[in-house]
Amino acid sequence: MNALSIVGICALLFTGNAPDDATNLGVNEIVERSNHVAYYASDDGRARVEMEITDDQGRTRNRRFTILRWDEPGEADENGYSDHDQRFYVYFDKPADISKMVFMVHKHLGRDDDRWLYMPSLDLVKRIAATDKRTSFVGSDFFYEDVSGRRLEDDVHELLETTENYYKIKNTPIDRSLVEFDHYIMWIHKGTFLPITVEFYDEGGNKYREYKAEKVEEIDGHWTVTQSSMHNLETGSKTVMSYSEVEYDIGLDGDIFTERYLRKPPRKFLR
Amino acid sequence: MSTENHREHEITPTERIGVGVTDTCTRKPRLVTGIMVALTLMLGLLAGVPSLFPDSVPMLNSLRVDTDPENMLAPDEPVRMYHNEAKRRFGLSDIVVLGVVNETNPDGVYNPETLAEVYELTEYAKTLHGEAIGEEDPEAGVVRIDLIAPSTVDFIESAGVGTVRFDWLMPAPPETRDEALAVRDRSRRIPFLNGTMIADETDEALCLYIPLTDKHLAHQVAGKLQSKIDGFAGAGGNEYYITGLPVAEDTFGVEMFKQMAISAPLAMVVIFLLMWIFFKKITLIVPPLIVAMVTSIMTMALLVISGKTVHIMSSMIPIFIMPIAVLDAIHIISDFFDRYGETRDRKATLVAVMKELFSPMLYTSLTTTAGFASLALTPIPPVQVFGIFVAIGVMLAWVWTITFIPAAIMFIPESRLADIADAQEKAHSAESSSLMARVLARLGGLTFRRAVFILAAAVVAVVVSGYGISRIRINDNPTKWFEPGHPIRVADRVLNKHFGGTYMGYLELSSSPIEGDAGVYAGGLVDRLSAGFDADSAGVGNLLTNEIRRLSEDAQSPWSLLDSAQAFVENKLDTCPDDEFDAWDRVSDQLGAERARFETFKQPETLRWMRSMQDHLETVLADADRQVVGKSNSLADIVMTVHRDLLGGTDDQYRFPDSPAAVAQCLIQYQSSHRYTDLDHFVMRDASAPEDHFRRSALWVQLTSGDNRDMEAVTRALDDYIAQNPPPGGIEHRWFGLTYINVIWQDKMVSGMLQAFLGSFLVVLFMMIVLFRSALWGILSMIPLTLTVALIYGLIGLIGKDYDMPVAVLSSLSLGLSVDYAIHFLARSRNMHRSRGSWKASVSPMFGEPALAITRNAIVVGFGFLPLLAAPLVPYQTVGFFIAAILLTAGASTLLLLPALIRFLEPWLFDESGSRAMSCRCGTCIVGSLVLVGLVVINLNQFIGEGSQIRYIALGLIPVLAIGCFVASRRRGCAGGKSVSENGGTP
Repeated sequence: MNALSIVGICALLFTGNAPDDATNLGVNEIVERSNHVAYYASDDGRARVEMEITDDQGRTRNRRFTILRWDEPGEADENGYSDHDQRFYVYFDKPADISKMVFMVHKHLGRDDDRWLYMPSLDLVKRIAATDKRTSFVGSDFFYEDVSGRRLEDDVHELLETTENYYKIKNTPIDRSLVEFDHYIMWIHKGTFLPITVEFYDEGGNKYREYKAEKVEEIDGHWTVTQSSMHNLETGSKTVMSYSEVEYDIGLDGDIFTERYLRKPPRKFLR
Repeated sequence: MSTENHREHEITPTERIGVGVTDTCTRKPRLVTGIMVALTLMLGLLAGVPSLFPDSVPMLNSLRVDTDPENMLAPDEPVRMYHNEAKRRFGLSDIVVLGVVNETNPDGVYNPETLAEVYELTEYAKTLHGEAIGEEDPEAGVVRIDLIAPSTVDFIESAGVGTVRFDWLMPAPPETRDEALAVRDRSRRIPFLNGTMIADETDEALCLYIPLTDKHLAHQVAGKLQSKIDGFAGAGGNEYYITGLPVAEDTFGVEMFKQMAISAPLAMVVIFLLMWIFFKKITLIVPPLIVAMVTSIMTMALLVISGKTVHIMSSMIPIFIMPIAVLDAIHIISDFFDRYGETRDRKATLVAVMKELFSPMLYTSLTTTAGFASLALTPIPPVQVFGIFVAIGVMLAWVWTITFIPAAIMFIPESRLADIADAQEKAHSAESSSLMARVLARLGGLTFRRAVFILAAAVVAVVVSGYGISRIRINDNPTKWFEPGHPIRVADRVLNKHFGGTYMGYLELSSSPIEGDAGVYAGGLVDRLSAGFDADSAGVGNLLTNEIRRLSEDAQSPWSLLDSAQAFVENKLDTCPDDEFDAWDRVSDQLGAERARFETFKQPETLRWMRSMQDHLETVLADADRQVVGKSNSLADIVMTVHRDLLGGTDDQYRFPDSPAAVAQCLIQYQSSHRYTDLDHFVMRDASAPEDHFRRSALWVQLTSGDNRDMEAVTRALDDYIAQNPPPGGIEHRWFGLTYINVIWQDKMVSGMLQAFLGSFLVVLFMMIVLFRSALWGILSMIPLTLTVALIYGLIGLIGKDYDMPVAVLSSLSLGLSVDYAIHFLARSRNMHRSRGSWKASVSPMFGEPALAITRNAIVVGFGFLPLLAAPLVPYQTVGFFIAAILLTAGASTLLLLPALIRFLEPWLFDESGSRAMSCRCGTCIVGSLVLVGLVVINLNQFIGEGSQIRYIALGLIPVLAIGCFVASRRRGCAGGKSVSENGGTP
């Protein structure tokens, strides 16, 4: 789910104005551009995220973390996008008992991601091997893939409808066995190219999961989702992520995203 | 059936009513019949229309079947409310258990073919929600996220140095033998699955747990799964078993209807045949059968109209009513033909019959009603409903017997009646030489000559029964309500042989509430924080402790104080100069640790205590050293498993980490999975309610049987453990889950039935005293049934039959039924003695017609219950067998014991001198009053609860009543000879 997802976390770089001929874009161009807007804004960025998980009985759990992102440089494709591998550094400070825990991802487009975890109370750094990105992100209703983005090549994209404000795109996985959904539908905003709603359907045609971009702001020229939610319709649980202190182009160095920085967080970028 | 001549005596008010009713009914037979048919049709329609056309008449109730054992307790019963609350708190669903067993493949179920089928079934089960099972709500049905199957659970393993791998346990069906065996090896490493999803000791079995949003969907879901299974090729020796409590309940509903459709008509047929054997004439048999049918229809219709549900107990109502309903009708008809020959006048004969029988019929109906109505005193709603409606049915049967039977006879032309009467007479003379008559005649002689022997035998029987009763084992198990060969029982046996148990008992552990005063808490907090400051952090630390003292003045609770303190520190962390950051960071950690102090179930010592408690529970043994708790799952197991796998996967790391924060970090990993809500089933998390957050935890205890005594053994083991190993920091515990609920209603049933039995015993005793106007006669009439109840329960203890719900219910209803024989026997003995002058002279005629009538009755009614043995459900069989045994025993003890006792008590029993007015007999008056006081106490106790005050008041009442009785019996009116009510109301 490329674009959709966590859209917010990473915000986008919106270098120029939307092309006037957007209405005539092919479906692949729409999703590529949306992916770029949602996950590749600028070359790096940071945000502080407040996460609140509310279950069907109204009980809540909170997490707070800071997320750093750095895009690996690379060649631009024929449409002008140089959206390649990325690195994420997620530093937790709340609740208190997981404070200083770090989760780090090297996202690779051509192979499985690399993930690391640092657990300060066990004084343990672990590499996590997982082919499956559709597991919960720290117990929330968001999946890892929602946070880091789904590869465009994993789905077949189909433009179902163009409304006044949205492109309605159906995405069907190429390898059904790797995912729990049958297909998902994205509503991509025509002006910002941000996915505003993403709905997941099972094989019976029931919608069981729903993403919503609840707040969008323009920050440093990038249209940025500053509040998003994921609703699990099966369990009634819902997670809301709110972004603050969003900054782009903060001069991150790729070296920060290495194992030795897990135990020694780069305070300069986290405070 | 009575042939002896009664001495003429003045007509009593009761008899006058009887004669009046008969007079009216014989004059207007069509009207009576019309009213009966119209009422039956009306009630039938009121119940039938809304049941058959559910939405046609919205204000009427339709037939509702209730198979939920939970309903053995009232909905507002605290245990049940707590059960539902705790179930909701931990998101626990009712579960369909699907077992796969393969005993032919050398690898058991771990072969590619079997696992492919398991995979396919799992995928199919995931689709069973919403439209697929005919539900509007798309989420109604299988709870996919909680489904436990190889392809839906996660697996963590070490993948080389410093690396862990997260994946589905079985992401896809294995293609090779090695891959299939790897599924087994991986599962075995996960304590949560071992003994739950996979068999822990053999490779032959695997279980899928399919949770449902609502247990009432079990039937649809199980049906769909079964057809999916039926569609498999069947190769490879896979056997599938579908069970679980929700399935059992649904199946039970179906079987219940079968029972009603088969057993009740069968009872009708048996009664018909027995009556035909005794009376030979269809014309005589039809009116009693009409009464039985009309009564059953009306009672069941009333049940439906009243909105009560048809539960296991109430489904037995028709089968109870039918034999009882025909009884009085048989009395009338046989007495009618005994007398008809004398006058050859229908109406005159009917009036004479009713004059004689009206009173005993009223009393036997009332005692039976009292026996059943006393069930209303039990605290089990379905038993109450059963008792009340059978009581209503008995009175309805009485009403239709005294009105419709005379009316029906009026429809038969005199000429036809004369033929029947002639045939009857012939039959009678044949009967007097029949085997039964000869046996009874000899028996009569025996009771006189061998009275001492009979009484001694009775004493021995009582002693043996007492021993039997002392060995009674109280136990019930709703699964065992099915016959041993029933698929559910088979599945139960097979699965519990392979797994840690399919019966789930849940235990909630909760931390004791915390002292809420923020000021007091602030003092301790400051002390603890200060103790942790070092040279670098002391400066900022003092700023914090000052702030805490200031904040504590306004803080509402320890939590809000901590929140405010934390906000203060966070602000500093954001704004302080870099050189102060480390110090603030340090005190922030300290503050964080302070919060963790409240989170009981993150404390390693709490988890360690929980785990050793589980170890203790797993040692509980039942008979034959069978392990009761095959397996238990808790938060402790989860933490240890995650810890092991994060730290290299070696067994020495299967332990608890050292700090609450380390536990929290393990749990974050646990949640970062496909099944991120699993943790909610074990611990309560709610940051908005710090008094609950990580302060409540649920433990799953798997029992290998649903026997209540097993669950009780586990609760006792837990109490012992807690007494010897007090939980760290004070933890309260409370059981829930259906297996535990069953124990509670069983306890209530045992004490409730004892009260109901005592209550109905006293009611019947009081009625007997009033009927016979004598305490001695009253007590005498209770002896056969008392012996019967003792014998039956002694037998139950001796043969080792569990004292379960149907057995408990038997006591009260056998009481109401079996006193009938004593009433008939004693009433006639009294009349006989009066006409023959001595008991010796009365024995032989008593063992003629009266004994024959009692024997016939016992046979008709006793055998009338036997069709219950054909029912597919064990409780019905139990009731059928024991009711038959009770009635036959009561008949026998009436015919043996009463004459033997009368022989010895003759001088006191037939003392005709002195007044017959009850208030004039001091002893009778006192006993009668005591019985009344006892009744009131028992009844009030039921509603007021443990009312020791009532007992004192009752004790105080006794001397008052005794003096009252004494004074009353010495009054002038009692002085004279025989009083006005000379006949004593005896029939």
